[in-house]
Amino acid sequence: MFRQSPARTLVLLATLAGLAVYASAGGYFAREIVVEIAILAILAISLDVVAGFGGMVSLAHGAMMGLSAYTYAIFSVKLGWPPLPSALMGIGASALFGTAIGWITGRTTGIFFIMATLAFGQMAYTVFFKWRWLGGDDGLGGLSRFDLGWLGIKMGDSLTFAFFALVMVLAVYAAAAWVLRTAFGRTLTGIHTNEDRMRALGVSTVVHRAQALGFSAMLAGVAGIIAAQHILYISPEMLVWTVSGEVLIVVILGGLGTLIGPLLGAVIFVLLKHEISAYTNHWHIVIGILLIATVLSGGRGIYGQVEHWLTRRTQPAGKTAEAPDA
Amino acid sequence: MDASFWILQFLNAAQFSMLLFLLSIGLTVIFGLLHFINLAHGALYMLGAYIGISVAAATGSFWAALILAPLAVMLIGAVLYFTLIDRLRGAGPMNQVLVTFGLIFVFLDLVRMGWGDVALGLSAPPSLAVTSDILGVKYPSYRLFIIALGLAIMAGLWITLARTQIGAMIRASVENGPMASAMGINVGRLFFIVFCVGCVLAGLAGVAAAPVTSATTGMGISILIPTLIVVVIGGLGSLQGAIAGSIIVGFIETFGAVLLPGFAAVLTYILLAAILVLRPQGLLPARGH
Repeated sequence: MFRQSPARTLVLLATLAGLAVYASAGGYFAREIVVEIAILAILAISLDVVAGFGGMVSLAHGAMMGLSAYTYAIFSVKLGWPPLPSALMGIGASALFGTAIGWITGRTTGIFFIMATLAFGQMAYTVFFKWRWLGGDDGLGGLSRFDLGWLGIKMGDSLTFAFFALVMVLAVYAAAAWVLRTAFGRTLTGIHTNEDRMRALGVSTVVHRAQALGFSAMLAGVAGIIAAQHILYISPEMLVWTVSGEVLIVVILGGLGTLIGPLLGAVIFVLLKHEISAYTNHWHIVIGILLIATVLSGGRGIYGQVEHWLTRRTQPAGKTAEAPDA
Repeated sequence: MDASFWILQFLNAAQFSMLLFLLSIGLTVIFGLLHFINLAHGALYMLGAYIGISVAAATGSFWAALILAPLAVMLIGAVLYFTLIDRLRGAGPMNQVLVTFGLIFVFLDLVRMGWGDVALGLSAPPSLAVTSDILGVKYPSYRLFIIALGLAIMAGLWITLARTQIGAMIRASVENGPMASAMGINVGRLFFIVFCVGCVLAGLAGVAAAPVTSATTGMGISILIPTLIVVVIGGLGSLQGAIAGSIIVGFIETFGAVLLPGFAAVLTYILLAAILVLRPQGLLPARGH
């Protein structure tokens, strides 16, 4: 069950503030990194909602993000809509895609669910890879950012855009935390813990799962819009299953089922990637070993492990405050 | 599109199916025996190809590579088994997916360090580097050799599983592991043996594929998805399922690519999604699943 503890709020605000300072003090490159972190963090938070609290390990989150980005491009570039309604269409398309996957795979669990999300994600990837109207494997350029000139905000500025991305991280985290604290979120955790019992209580678990995946996909869609507006170019590479695999790594490194962990995971993942890349181009092996070590050491992830130590210290032996959610 | 076109595509599809079979059989029996999902299976295939190229370069013989490289892959597999796989047997699908996904990254970079990031070729042995005449169609002999190799291994595994004692033990353990264990079968050791055979076959597929596709660092990841699709479509843990799945996927991908370009790649995913929804146990599952 999700609880927004004061420690989590503190870490959330401190991390976002730290990133904002980094973006302001650093140059153009630092701002690019902050946006990259923000996109990955939103995606990881959205995956944690279903994987950490609903037990649905999805390998389609990259595809959800990409679908949103491509829908944004279809409406804004091909049909000439303004950016804001196009973005809403993109997020809506992603949410629909997620709901559909959740509904079709409603009865599959475990490895079959993972395989099914892989299949639907790769299907979407293949469609955009082959679709010449949308550039196919060359990708598509000519996108534009939101026009907030009437508010006096210049989105074209790299610092402004980095701040915008950070605000979106906060918004997505708040939305996820709020939903997980409603009856809907509690029910989702209940289905994960004991599906038969929830069904006996009269919960339609298939519909509930579909709605949860739809909500998660909606958040992933937000990441898609930021990614599309970031470099103003999209390619099918956003949708490949290994992107979703990387997001899953971020969630695990940070702490599955903590919601704040994925944000920390995204910060560490992106910084590590750039730091290691400065010395060697073999950063994959470092991430791989880190991932294996994390899983073998109990799979709590960085934030989960810290929380585990804290609860063990403050709680008398034999009584734990909160069982891990997955 | 005359007859020769169909014969040619049929042979291409058969050759791809056999490669898929060599890869998926190990994966599916491991999966069926202990519900273990090994995403690093594709990485073993890649290692087979690269080690094979090095062995061939050192000994000057393709046949030495074809025998030694799978054994080397088996050794790597055995090390993996004792360090990681054995600990993860009861750890749930997500942990298995994560650890083996991490292994993909590790092997990817190890291969890049060892062999570099360029595509490496392996030439077919001189005796097979010719073309054969099949019903009036000229076809590379080496590809026929892959088909024959796949069929031979298929037959060998079939006889082993259906007619020998160890085959009966494997089938019993796939059907009902705890009961087989209670009957005195050492399921853990059986799993290790099957795992090693799976590694050998993955390595063998890698060496066999190298002359056709040449070895690249991306080959492990790109073959992984079709292999997993074969396993799920065919049904977990069954030889018949792996055979049927590899033939279905091999033929759909090959014929789809020539008859419906653009739509072909989606076809297999649609098939996989349909199977997962309508018949999640797969087409020909092992009993007990």
